[in-house]
Amino acid sequence: MSDLKGKVAIIGIGEVPTGRFPEASAIYHAIESARRAIRDAGINKDNIDYVLPCGAVYSPPFNTELITGRVVEELGLKNVSKNCQVFSGGSTSSCGIDIAASLINSKAASTVLFVHADRLGTGVDLQGGIDLFATAGISHEWEVPFGQHYSSIAALAMTRYMYETGCTDEHLAAVCVSNRKWAELNPHAFFRKPVTIEEILSSKVLSTPLRAKQSNMLFDGGAAFIVTSAERARDITERPVYLLGEGGIVTHFVYSQEPDITRFGWARAAEKAFGEAGLTAADMDIAEIYDSYPIYELIAFEELGFCKRGDGGEMFLRGDTWPGGKIPTTTNGGMLSQGHTGGGGGVAILVETFRQLMGKAGERQVPNARFAVETGTGGTYMDSQVSVFGTEIP
Amino acid sequence: MPVKPKPVPVATAWTMPFWEGTRNGKLLYQKCGDCGTNVFIPRIACSRCFSENLEWVESSGRGTVFSFTVVENNAPSAFIADMPFVIAIVKMEEEGVQMLTNIVECDPYEVRCDMPVEVVFEKLSDEFTLPKFRPAASR
Repeated sequence: MSDLKGKVAIIGIGEVPTGRFPEASAIYHAIESARRAIRDAGINKDNIDYVLPCGAVYSPPFNTELITGRVVEELGLKNVSKNCQVFSGGSTSSCGIDIAASLINSKAASTVLFVHADRLGTGVDLQGGIDLFATAGISHEWEVPFGQHYSSIAALAMTRYMYETGCTDEHLAAVCVSNRKWAELNPHAFFRKPVTIEEILSSKVLSTPLRAKQSNMLFDGGAAFIVTSAERARDITERPVYLLGEGGIVTHFVYSQEPDITRFGWARAAEKAFGEAGLTAADMDIAEIYDSYPIYELIAFEELGFCKRGDGGEMFLRGDTWPGGKIPTTTNGGMLSQGHTGGGGGVAILVETFRQLMGKAGERQVPNARFAVETGTGGTYMDSQVSVFGTEIP
Repeated sequence: MPVKPKPVPVATAWTMPFWEGTRNGKLLYQKCGDCGTNVFIPRIACSRCFSENLEWVESSGRGTVFSFTVVENNAPSAFIADMPFVIAIVKMEEEGVQMLTNIVECDPYEVRCDMPVEVVFEKLSDEFTLPKFRPAASR
């Protein structure tokens, strides 16, 4: 037990729309997201005493500026004691909140600003993006020489998962349809037009059985949030979002060495996170699941305990995960529809978790949402990270 | 688009015997002299007991396809001319290790999960030969 249950709370969120913005720099996205988060919290900016910028995958000079205090200076923050980059790829969300919470709980910090921004949409062209990600986090000795890249990594999980469970192409396409239903209601999402299973399955094959419309798209974007102690949060806002449980397991670096590419460490991570929160999947009002490809959303959904292994596809297909469904899932549309902005694709999902629990999700607000689970996974799905949040401490 | 050269393995001091093996037509893995664990990918020390008492052993070269994909579009630059090609994870059942590889010498669309395969060696450069797999000859 990490003993963080109910000790810290999120008091503010900020986000800029995801898309292609050639005129805007990454620092613009970062500053604008952070400014919105500070305004949302309604605090004096000088109460922020610790800044955790998320590392950028692409935007090397910006990365250096993040580390060396640019965010602090641009925002004019006067009482920041430490500025320290946090990065674990797609699990930066869960790892970032855990670190922020630990800093607050140990009294090393009182109010933490976490901010992410990147320019994957305009900073690099399509082939450049494929080539960049064909080497980022993939073993240069054991996998790069065989042509491994992120589409093939997702496809390898899909092939084996479908072989073992009987999951169909339609089930995996249904994950994309579900996410898009939410994105239709999200003004920050890039893809907002309805999509059908037929359209997804008629898009070109990238790596069998993965198709183009089952793949996340790289975009520009930014997101930020503010964390403080639960005690302080109650004086600041009427609806703080409490961290209730955290669980994680790092399983591999070289993808082919992971013995179970159809489950990963989700069950163990979930057991710890739900255990710490004293809750189960059945208590969750929302599941916010990292979805760079539909297979990973489906696997995590099942392993978290929302259904038996192999039954998840049917739930996405019949609408259980859609707006109005019994377990609303990935309610910002995820990376498949809002778009993937690097390590921050997960941060956007985390910010959406807070937004829903704060009751600020507008048209896509899940009514009376009290408890939500959020997941992140970095690199070639090297880790399974699960966080549980709530508007009350059970 | 100009064809980019194929990436060669970025090897380390302790993995060189593996690549020397593939140059000589042998697929090697490590066996821990203390706890008996079969180790792959090659390590400095046994990833189970930390012993440095690792010896190189020749693999049977026989395995099965654990999972696979046929790359049809959006490959990394150096592999565009190869499409469609097969990327697979092969399990060496006898040794209990697994590796990423390509399945070659067959129609890419004939590859199936759990299909028996055997190692073949493809020279990439003077220094590096890659272990790839083809459908196993019936035995």
